[in-house]
Amino acid sequence: MSTLASSGSLNRHMISTAAWACYVFLLIPSLIVIPISFGNPGQIEFPPRQFSLALYRQFFTDPAWWGSMAQSLFVAVVTTLLTLALAVPAAYALARSRLPGRNLLRGLFMTPMLVPVIVLGLGLYLQFSNWGLLDTTTGVVLAHIMLTTPFVVISVMSGLQHADTSLETVASIMGASRPTVFFRVVLPQIKTSIAVGALFAFLMSLDEVVVAYFVTGAKSMTLPVKMYSSIRWEITPVLAAVSTLLTLLSLLIALGLIALQRKTETEHE
Amino acid sequence: MAQSGAASELNLSSALMLLAPLTLLMIAMLVYPLALTVWTSIHPGRFSLEAYTDLINSTLFLRVLRNTFEISIAGTLVSLVVGYPVAMHLAAQSPRRRTAYLIMVMLPFWTSILVKSFALTTVFGNQGLVNQLLGFLSGGQINLPMMFNRVGVILGMINFLLPFMILSILGSLLAQDRTLVLAAETMGAKPLRIFWKITLPLSLPGVIAGVLINVTLSIGMYITPALLGGRQDMMVANLVDFYTRQTLDWTAASATAVVLLAISGALVALLGKARGGGTIGAAA
Repeated sequence: MSTLASSGSLNRHMISTAAWACYVFLLIPSLIVIPISFGNPGQIEFPPRQFSLALYRQFFTDPAWWGSMAQSLFVAVVTTLLTLALAVPAAYALARSRLPGRNLLRGLFMTPMLVPVIVLGLGLYLQFSNWGLLDTTTGVVLAHIMLTTPFVVISVMSGLQHADTSLETVASIMGASRPTVFFRVVLPQIKTSIAVGALFAFLMSLDEVVVAYFVTGAKSMTLPVKMYSSIRWEITPVLAAVSTLLTLLSLLIALGLIALQRKTETEHE
Repeated sequence: MAQSGAASELNLSSALMLLAPLTLLMIAMLVYPLALTVWTSIHPGRFSLEAYTDLINSTLFLRVLRNTFEISIAGTLVSLVVGYPVAMHLAAQSPRRRTAYLIMVMLPFWTSILVKSFALTTVFGNQGLVNQLLGFLSGGQINLPMMFNRVGVILGMINFLLPFMILSILGSLLAQDRTLVLAAETMGAKPLRIFWKITLPLSLPGVIAGVLINVTLSIGMYITPALLGGRQDMMVANLVDFYTRQTLDWTAASATAVVLLAISGALVALLGKARGGGTIGAAA
């Protein structure tokens, strides 16, 4: 406690006032939508004059909204499962082999994190219009697998770094086949890291708007794209209900991630 | 690992088999689209660099490029000035309280950028909370224009950038040796002097990393300027969209995207260098 804050009460007050102003600024956008969502369906008002669930009713009865939410959930689930199926074996191979060009491949899997999404959006748009994948669910899912790969690879590789390789050595010396070693020895040790990667991938796909905006259309529109055009062209109070539901969902996922992180910390102690 | 790894190590053919599916997908969904973008920019029917010379001669492009740099630098500076005290405040807390405060910093990080954009318009819009509050306090009608202009873009941007800046600076503040401050205090140094001579210089690696992360993230920003900015505040990413959708000029869109890719590539390389120099990068 003997840091900056203890030196001079004036500074201390200034710093904590400035910090609190910033906390409020950071929190308000995430929280303000909640009270608004229980307000009058006619207009956006804070504080709401009367409590009502009308905006939620509007959301769940309008197929344009509810349908894009269902589409988003479907895309996110399929994306997460396929990313895991592709990225977990790849991460395992990167961590447990001395394949020449390994670093190059790892770089390739990390690249989507570094390229501005708009560039990826345009590239996929050009490609999908050649390949007939524009406005298809397959197209969005393929694009989202690419976008979520880095997060799953990072998480699984860090799990593999903590896993005990001598157990794998012993198992193979005792005659276990490679798949047996993977499923019975490696997988139990990295399942938390896989879960972390999966939650990240799910949330990213659910939230992703720029690439989806380029490659989807009326038939395959995800919720973020629907929200984007609604905020842009005709702001409706229903947005408050959608926002609250989305925030709740990301909060649940964040809590899940924190719980998993605690778990790995105690596991490695 | 090298000597004990023999039995836990995969042979090359199984490694290849495990890596092949993801590698193929990344080639199809990442390398190919990027190559196609570069190709489209230099080959509108035949090989030509016209798209690039057109960009350099286009007042729209130059204005948008200037906007992009101005907005990114302004957003980063505000985020630095606002974020530094927050990082100091967090560093001064006990670990338990720090975790609690950090939740407030991380919540916006987890919130969808669309939710935040919508919420910011209800807070800072013409009939928004802030204007209502100011009107109530002053007893008059107040319409401070804070949305759909540059102020709006920067407000939205710093709301998005601040967590990255705060975490980056916090990392290097926590790594500092606290006895240095104690020693300086014992020797009679005033708080301001301690800050300038010890705290700030030692935190520079975190500041540099935070600034680079912020600039890199804001250079490619699309949603925030599109939803919170005015017509004058278009950034490079929005120009790519404009060429793709409004003028249907894929060559110009691709050339613009390639320029953006080059700029952010250079920034990422700088960031890698800064981190290589022993910086704690907190954002992931």
